[in-house]
Amino acid sequence: MEEVSCRARQDPLMEAIGLCKRFGRVVALEDVDVTIQSGEVVGLLGDNGAGKSTLIKILTGVYRPDGGELKFEGKPVDFASPKDARRLGIETVYQDLALIENMSIARNFFLGAEPSRRIGGFNLLDMAAMRRVTEEALRDIGIAVRCATDDVCVLSGGERQAIAIGRTMYFGGKLLILDEPTSALSVHETNKVLGYITEARKRGLAVIFITHNLYHVYPVADRFIVLEHGRKVADLAKDEATVDDLIRIVAYGIEGTRRD
Amino acid sequence: MRPLLNRREVGVAVALVLVFIVFFSMKREFLNAGTLGDIVTVAAELGVVAIGVSFLMIAGEMDLSVGSNFALSGMVLAMLITKSGWNPWAALLAALACGAGIGAVNGLVTLYARIPSFITTLGAMMFWRGIALYLSQGWPISIFEDVPLLRLLGGARVLSTAHISAVWWFVIGLVFCLVLEKTAYGNWVFATGGKRAAARALGVADTKVKMTNFIITGVLAALSGCLQLGRMGSMSPVWGQELSLEAIAAAVVGGNSLSGGIGTIFGAMLGAVTMASIRIGLVMVGAPSYWYMSFVGFIVVAAVALNVKLGEVISWRK
Repeated sequence: MEEVSCRARQDPLMEAIGLCKRFGRVVALEDVDVTIQSGEVVGLLGDNGAGKSTLIKILTGVYRPDGGELKFEGKPVDFASPKDARRLGIETVYQDLALIENMSIARNFFLGAEPSRRIGGFNLLDMAAMRRVTEEALRDIGIAVRCATDDVCVLSGGERQAIAIGRTMYFGGKLLILDEPTSALSVHETNKVLGYITEARKRGLAVIFITHNLYHVYPVADRFIVLEHGRKVADLAKDEATVDDLIRIVAYGIEGTRRD
Repeated sequence: MRPLLNRREVGVAVALVLVFIVFFSMKREFLNAGTLGDIVTVAAELGVVAIGVSFLMIAGEMDLSVGSNFALSGMVLAMLITKSGWNPWAALLAALACGAGIGAVNGLVTLYARIPSFITTLGAMMFWRGIALYLSQGWPISIFEDVPLLRLLGGARVLSTAHISAVWWFVIGLVFCLVLEKTAYGNWVFATGGKRAAARALGVADTKVKMTNFIITGVLAALSGCLQLGRMGSMSPVWGQELSLEAIAAAVVGGNSLSGGIGTIFGAMLGAVTMASIRIGLVMVGAPSYWYMSFVGFIVVAAVALNVKLGEVISWRK
């Protein structure tokens, strides 16, 4: 027992070694290594078409890599579908696929994992518990909702992200992948969402934060991975690079910085 | 007041009250037990179809073939009892299986060939109507002997003029209200129709949900045909031609969104009552039955417009 928990602390939460992915003749990813520790926020950066979303889709089981291997908590894994990844605690919050607008907050919160009570031989939704737990779980991580039976469409973009993040934390997610969580938000709302990301890290979750905006990711991230044309061109801890360094790497590649 | 106004059924409730006021002011007998019994009897067969259509519509799909399904499955029941001498219960199972099959084909073609269900079921509407006409050579089939099953389906009267088919309609309505509002499956139906990609991303088996609802809609259309055969003792291959559009109208009047993700079974049932009231009311006041379609058309647009208006007023107040 002792040895296992010790190993678990040393191993990264998730590790990808030499990932390759081709679509026909297009090489989307080439020999990419990534490691993520629990309690770490990694900023995943790169221009459009750099391979960010291909990488994420491999980590979450949407695509199978053509080469390379994946390890989760030290053990090799092979995801046949996103379900397999979710079962291990890998959760993705997509920018506009997080919630369903015409359903209540509580119904969204428990979608796919609805609590039910057996009443007269039928499994009926426990609406009271859904409402109570949703409000409690969200309050617990600093998200105030007026009423969990309100429809999601009355919420702002930031509140929607918050609920999606809160849901992942509540259901015991270990790796939270956020796809452009702040791209459509006001400054005030962005700061709030960044606060929830910090909160997730404090609770020991690993977070991958995909963004175009370095000013959003820099304050909350511990490490930055930059992709370019399907290759990893930089993997830097925060104390190894300033915002300006990173902007230059994303814009001009690693050579761009050397020329300076 | 606001929670009440927030309900999607407000538009149809107002429409129903207006219809009652109009007919009652023209004919006092409109509000007696006999008339109300007639209304629920007429509403039952349309209502059973409307429940299925709504359940499917909330999951984001359409079924225009329910009218043809209704006629064909009713014909199957009638022919198996009269011409093939089947046990009526086995014949009923076969008729419902016929409806399930039509629903399943609609689902398979729509989901796997990626054709809009509007097109799939438009084709199915014509195809199955043709099959029904071929099987019967265009003639109606009547059952003259007394079959207990047919009495149980629709022939028996329960309260004044109301037939037992209305009871089945209420029971089915209650079951589907519960399934939609109070079960995990209902949650998946809303999610699938509301935003399919998001539902899938959260692990909802969206294709399975749609497929299941296509089949349920088919079974309910078939059952409606059987209820009508039970009530009238005959079935014609040309009946139910307007049924698909009437059922969709009942669903839409009742607050169901044509594009999915929003709606209630109760609303669709009220929609069916509204349309049945218009049908019976026009007969009572002696108006030509041609007016029925015009009236229904007016109510559809007015009720939906009212819903939209109320939605705006509520969102301003928030």
